[in-house]
Amino acid sequence: MRWALSGLLVAVAAAGPPGRATPVRLALIDLDGRRANPLETPGVPFTVFVFTRTDCPISNRYAPELSRLHERFARAGVAFWLVYADPAEPVEAIRRHLEEYGYPFGALRDPQHNLVRMTQARVTPEAAVFVAGPSGTPEVNPGVPLRSRSQRDRGAGPRLVYTGRIDDRYVSFGRTRAAPTTHDLERVLEALLAGGAVAPRTTPAIGCFIPPLQ
Amino acid sequence: MRAAGWSARSLALAVMVGAGWGCDRARSLDPARGPAPEPVTFNRHIAPIVFHDCAPCHRPGEAGPFSLLSYADVRQRAEEVARVTAARYMPPWPPEPGYGEFAGQRRLTDEQVALIQRWVSEGAVEGGGAMLPPRPQFGEGWQLGPPDLVLTMPQPFTVPAEGTDVFRNFVLSVPVSGARYVRAMELRPGDKKVVHHANVLLDRTASARRLDARDPEPGFGGMDVELESESFEPDSHFLFWKPGTAAVTEPEGMAWRLDGGTDVVLNMHLQPSGKAEMIQPTVGLYFTDTPPTRHPMLVQLEHDEAIDIAPGQKDFVVTDHYELPVDVEVLGVYPHAHYLGKQVEAFATLPDGTRKGLIRINDWDFNWQAVYRCLRPVPLPKGTTIQMRITYDNSADNVRNPSQPPRRVRAGNRSSDEMGHLWIQVLPREAGDRWLLQEAAMRRRLEKSPGDFVAHANLGAALEARGRPQEAVGHYREALRRRPQSAAVLNNLGAVLQSADQLDEALEIYRAAVRAEPDHVSARYNLGNALAAKGAFGEAVPHFREVVRLRADDLMARNNLGAALVAAGRSEEAIPHLRRVLAADPGSLNAHYNLGRALALRGDLAGAAAHFEQAVRIDPGDALSLKSLRETRDRLRKAN
Repeated sequence: MRWALSGLLVAVAAAGPPGRATPVRLALIDLDGRRANPLETPGVPFTVFVFTRTDCPISNRYAPELSRLHERFARAGVAFWLVYADPAEPVEAIRRHLEEYGYPFGALRDPQHNLVRMTQARVTPEAAVFVAGPSGTPEVNPGVPLRSRSQRDRGAGPRLVYTGRIDDRYVSFGRTRAAPTTHDLERVLEALLAGGAVAPRTTPAIGCFIPPLQ
Repeated sequence: MRAAGWSARSLALAVMVGAGWGCDRARSLDPARGPAPEPVTFNRHIAPIVFHDCAPCHRPGEAGPFSLLSYADVRQRAEEVARVTAARYMPPWPPEPGYGEFAGQRRLTDEQVALIQRWVSEGAVEGGGAMLPPRPQFGEGWQLGPPDLVLTMPQPFTVPAEGTDVFRNFVLSVPVSGARYVRAMELRPGDKKVVHHANVLLDRTASARRLDARDPEPGFGGMDVELESESFEPDSHFLFWKPGTAAVTEPEGMAWRLDGGTDVVLNMHLQPSGKAEMIQPTVGLYFTDTPPTRHPMLVQLEHDEAIDIAPGQKDFVVTDHYELPVDVEVLGVYPHAHYLGKQVEAFATLPDGTRKGLIRINDWDFNWQAVYRCLRPVPLPKGTTIQMRITYDNSADNVRNPSQPPRRVRAGNRSSDEMGHLWIQVLPREAGDRWLLQEAAMRRRLEKSPGDFVAHANLGAALEARGRPQEAVGHYREALRRRPQSAAVLNNLGAVLQSADQLDEALEIYRAAVRAEPDHVSARYNLGNALAAKGAFGEAVPHFREVVRLRADDLMARNNLGAALVAAGRSEEAIPHLRRVLAADPGSLNAHYNLGRALALRGDLAGAAAHFEQAVRIDPGDALSLKSLRETRDRLRKAN
């Protein structure tokens, strides 16, 4: 078990002043170097972050699948973001990467591993799905909150409902299915859009390790 | 007359190890030294491992997705390096230790794996710079310098962005005339991030070209290719590329023959990368003037007919065995199964009962299949039995199973079919022993599959080569009972009959071969020669014409066309053909002689004498040329 709830509590506590039901403070930056926090964008009920890097063959192989998921879910209110977590990757290489693989959605950088810590993502590709708080999208069932320690926080800010693989095509290093049998990320998004309660869950993601900050 | 020696071997894959050749460097880290007592550092302990076992692929332009050439490179990936080496996913080296020793082995020792673990757990320290071994140097461009001939795929092929792996075969024509001997080959597959491995096959019968023509995209699909083969050369060589392979250099005395008109077929495994990638492979060939003195042979163990795996079956076993009829040395092995393969094993039981492991792979992974070349030749005496054992897992637990839910699987070329092959490259004491090896292989095949077409056809060729034409005829006829329209077997049968002076029957058989396959070059050529032998020169002419239409650089056929035209009294038509032969091969005795005759018939006695003189210079003992030269000089004297 590599993803414990307590880890998330620590991360969230570190991200915002304790005791206040504020949205998660993200310190991501966009490709022009500006601070960005897509979770604060009003009117976006669901946000999918996918950790990636320019030279990982496994995450690169998922580019067409991510484009397809974007095409299917973007209109329904799901925002997609690629997240490059390695501070050593030059912005120019990232721009070239986006262009080459034809990603139809935007990219952010996480040089301080803010989102990495919050989601406990370990590899690329790994997806993290957030549900916006009631202030953003009152009509959406907020799902089950993760921050069970404090009932005050229920429904207050964005909740992380999924981290893990996109699908189960990669089983372990060197073991790959010809085709996936479970489309985990897609099922999570379907469940969210169907309005049912979505229990937070994680799945093991296989890919290139996100190097720790030096 | 050209011999019509032919062997219709069903060649699944002609292959060659590349990986290993020339990579047989000493281990940089001496495991005997034991675990390092002092703190593990990159410069002292880790760099030698990384530079030797990782950097060949993990460097710019190679298949590894990122470089591992410096402390910074490895430090950044330290956790990943520790994980993948502990899992033995990297470096990829499937054979188990203790079952054969192979060149270019990239298996880390247990000590090396432990050292990497320790290094990472101790904080991945760099250490003093004085201990850092020199950064490995890799040559740019062609590894052996500019090749003598570069073959390039005429059109690029686009590997789609996504989907299942692509198995594609590309045909490259070879613009050489006559025979060349290839001492080394380098394949530059294009983008190494999408090319997983490649087998190089040689096709003398244009059969791959015909398959290509039927497919609108460049190349044609299929995981394995079967090609008709007319001789052992060069099918007896493994020509194989996998990531990290430099040039494939043949051992001393083992150059392989490449004839004009041959096609090089690249049988490639391509993996979609997430974006569409264009590839346009090139092959660099390095020639030598020295014909081979050592003649290896590929022996195939298989039992594809026995492959019938029920869905859910976890331990399906396929075995085969082969008893060596002569002493050999094993030079390399190439096991081949698809995605259900689980364990692959081959061993030899010597006449004295000793058992020698040839290879064992406990966790078969199609993606890392390779040719394994023995570090040292493994001598096996006559009477040794080689056994192959492959197990398959057709359950849903096998995540690589291409069919979910599993379905019944039989042998075939698609990735959802299975195969169980083990090719062994053996070197007998004498080239002629190969026919004994072939005979034994085909008799074994008939045991497994009575009435098998390929076995009868090849057994016929082996017996013919061993001077047993009567038995050869019997097996050719058996083969034809299965496939009456096989031009190749008809052609062989015709050649045996012709050798036995049954010229009329041979003619009928050749005619049948040409009817069955009008483009069969060898059958056309033999039909032309047989007609010429009957004195029917005019009838022979169109057949030779057809051969040179199909193969413009076939100098023997063009010479014979000229000769037939001269004999039919059509010297004017013959002269341009004979001149063309001489332009390509000024040392052709026959073309000089034939052109001399053509010029003499035209009345150009001086020109004729000049060519007869050339012929005599090439072979001072050639009676026909000497006689013609004498007569022409006499006529010249009389004319003057």
